[in-house]
Amino acid sequence: MPIRPLVTRYEDDLALFPTRWNKIALTLAVIALLVTPLVANRYWMDVVNLTAVYVVGAVALVILTGFTGQISLGHAGFLAVGAYSAAVLGNHLGVPFWLVVPVAGLAAAGVGLVAGPFALRLRGLYLAIITIGLVFVVNHVLRSFSGLTGGVQGTSVPMLWWFDQEGAADFLGGYRATTSVGSLTLATDVKIYLLFVLLAVCTVWCGVNIRRSNSGRAMMAVRDHDLAAAVLGVSPAKYKIVAFGISSFFAGVAGAMYAFKAAYITVDPPFNMNMSVEFIAIIVIGGATTVFGAVVGALFFGLVRPLAESLANRVDLLEALTASQQSLLILAILVIGFMLVEPTGLRGLWVKLKRYFSTWPFRY
Amino acid sequence: MTNLVQLLASGLALGTVYALIALGFVVIYRASQVFNFAQGELVMTGAFVMVVLGGFLPWPVAVLGAMLVTGLLAATVERLVLRPLVGRDVVITVILTIFVGLSLRVLVMVIFGPDQRGMPTPWAMDAQVNVGGARIFLSSIVAVAAGAVALGVFYYLIRYSRIGVAMRATSSDQEAALCLGIPVGRIFGYTWFVAGAYAALAGVFLGMFPRTVDTNLGLIALKAFPVVIVGGLDSAGGVVVAGLILGVVEVLTQGYVNPVLGSFGQNFHEVLPYIIMVLFLMVRPYGIAGREEVERV
Repeated sequence: MPIRPLVTRYEDDLALFPTRWNKIALTLAVIALLVTPLVANRYWMDVVNLTAVYVVGAVALVILTGFTGQISLGHAGFLAVGAYSAAVLGNHLGVPFWLVVPVAGLAAAGVGLVAGPFALRLRGLYLAIITIGLVFVVNHVLRSFSGLTGGVQGTSVPMLWWFDQEGAADFLGGYRATTSVGSLTLATDVKIYLLFVLLAVCTVWCGVNIRRSNSGRAMMAVRDHDLAAAVLGVSPAKYKIVAFGISSFFAGVAGAMYAFKAAYITVDPPFNMNMSVEFIAIIVIGGATTVFGAVVGALFFGLVRPLAESLANRVDLLEALTASQQSLLILAILVIGFMLVEPTGLRGLWVKLKRYFSTWPFRY
Repeated sequence: MTNLVQLLASGLALGTVYALIALGFVVIYRASQVFNFAQGELVMTGAFVMVVLGGFLPWPVAVLGAMLVTGLLAATVERLVLRPLVGRDVVITVILTIFVGLSLRVLVMVIFGPDQRGMPTPWAMDAQVNVGGARIFLSSIVAVAAGAVALGVFYYLIRYSRIGVAMRATSSDQEAALCLGIPVGRIFGYTWFVAGAYAALAGVFLGMFPRTVDTNLGLIALKAFPVVIVGGLDSAGGVVVAGLILGVVEVLTQGYVNPVLGSFGQNFHEVLPYIIMVLFLMVRPYGIAGREEVERV
């Protein structure tokens, strides 16, 4: 049973949204994105903004782990580099936010390109463990240059221009101003939302296009069998490093987004191994090898956490637990259950559902 | 000189703990190709069980009891969570064990609370022995001795006992082992039991005097990863050697190199094992004594 329709022309094969159902889904997604800031309150805007960060980070990781098969637990390190580049550029050089985003990405990509060659001789578990080392080393470096990064105390992240009144970078909340466009008043979280949606859509689009392109197919060849890929003339070394570069670029962007959203960042609570693990969990829940899976996983993950938290606030499962511990426990149980019952992830579930309905009334 | 001897002793004690933890990784990995990221949480659980048992049992019995309880816990985790996933992708088991570890940590926090506790010892908590002018913690000496005994038992178990032979057969070829009537599934359970028991032993010595027992004790396992990698994922002897070396190097760095580096040296010893690991992997990607992977297209 094919999961994509028969095509007879190259234009159809290249189309991003080949079927009518894709177009309908796209329309619905656009409507949902436009309606969200109108109906959501502050808490849910916060959740949605964080989910956008997850989407960008997950697509970044899927390029490395899903396409190229390089398991990385060092993702948090790249996010940390991006976040701190954003902070340093804004605080010390007064760079506007639209320039900060790509530069933070480039900084992280630089680190990724340095780390990439180390990964060439390793695979599987060895790579996973050595990338944990990346998180430790990056965090150590960030902590020790406290003049630039604020060290253990952390640093504020200004978002200059448009978000701020003419570069007045306060300690906190310098950009918490509202903007009026015509008769419409935009609160800060809505402005951040618009920026984040733009970035997330761009990232997803890049991810999908990488997968469809020559380099994406080369990466997948390397993932499936690097020696065989080399025999066929695809250089595994080159594409592993390219994947590291692209992935860490988008991870840096995600880090900058995280920093903008948080407005004040420290090194360890967010950027530790738990964050890397969360991203791995996102792409595995989504169905590890596609951009669609990464996006679905990120949405799932971003929305389950607050739901678990609100459940934890209502129902006191165990007295001794705080709400965040309880939500972590719920999340852990959910992830473990998912792995045991549906190891192909949400995407696998979706494909099964689609097959069921497209072959109905027959059983596939 | 006395300073050096003191540092060497505490380095060896730390190295023994690393070796015990790393041994747990290797035993499980060799049998089932699973890398157990929940090992640190087993260490912590073992320490907490010891705190409880040490309250009413004589010390040696309490240590054995803690090893037994933690080993059974590990075997239960294997049976309930890991067994259904035999033969799955590496990533799946990695994530699964990480989340098992997270849940374990939350559960321990629920049961024991976030307070720090002292590890019960039959000798005075900070008892020291005078060796040629150097004052060495009695705990360090006992840790090294107990570690040596545990490693000896492990060697004997693997080399000569029925279960040990079955474990080695399983790690060399699961299907062949199954054909020869070895209950491979149960062997996985045994390996987890051994790993849990050794983790508990490591936890007992890790929680002694300079440190205390709390829910962050499990983070030590993050520093045992470099040990496993440098030693070689599938070599028990390799990780013991690597554990001792890295433990000593870490403590010596803390004593002599950190002060030299200024602000960069703050906690530099915590990162050093990872740097050693990266450099080592450049030269020998399969560790000191690991098997080199040979691959067919």
